[in-house]
Amino acid sequence: MKNRLKVLRAERDWTQAQLADALDVSRQTINAIETGKFDPSLPLAFRAARLFDLRIEEIFHDENGPSLATEIKK
Amino acid sequence: MNQLGSPESGYESRIRTNMVRLLYWNGAWVGTCALMAFGPKVLWDRALLLTLLAVGLNVGVGVGMLLANKKYVQELDELQRKVYLNALATTVGVGLIASVPISVMSGYHVIPFKADMAYLVMLMALTFLVSMLHGTRRYR
Repeated sequence: MKNRLKVLRAERDWTQAQLADALDVSRQTINAIETGKFDPSLPLAFRAARLFDLRIEEIFHDENGPSLATEIKK
Repeated sequence: MNQLGSPESGYESRIRTNMVRLLYWNGAWVGTCALMAFGPKVLWDRALLLTLLAVGLNVGVGVGMLLANKKYVQELDELQRKVYLNALATTVGVGLIASVPISVMSGYHVIPFKADMAYLVMLMALTFLVSMLHGTRRYR
């Protein structure tokens, strides 16, 4: 799963530590998510979306392309 | 720039507090283990009541340590809990795999020492430490 966390954080001039504090996780977790080593849980993704005032899919993208439902509709 | 809270105010400081609390409980438990092991011989000449009190104290502090550890794990974030769980799984696996052959070999005198519980505890502690370090480095 890819994400725009690093870009969104940079746009707001926040450090990893500040973002970690706002999401109530460790700085290591933020770094692991930003570098794609760790995929966050749905509750954490929702917290990030609320913090950035965006929808989850505007932050996190599935690398495997469109959903199965979209494929079926075609 | 949108200001967020200080990095020292939330998660990190809470985890540090829990870790220090856990460290104190661990130290106390090791201390009561030593008291229970050496007290009867060195301090109170095998007096049964004092030995039973030392055992009770060890169990009580052990329960405190267990609860402190539980609180520590519950408050970890999802990545750190994953690292912890992986380390725990490796530790239990290594402990299980190592304990049976060592016990059998000791029974048949294949190894020159008696299979003691302390060796298993040491092996599991080392395995946990290495697994935690490996997991932490992996997600750095």
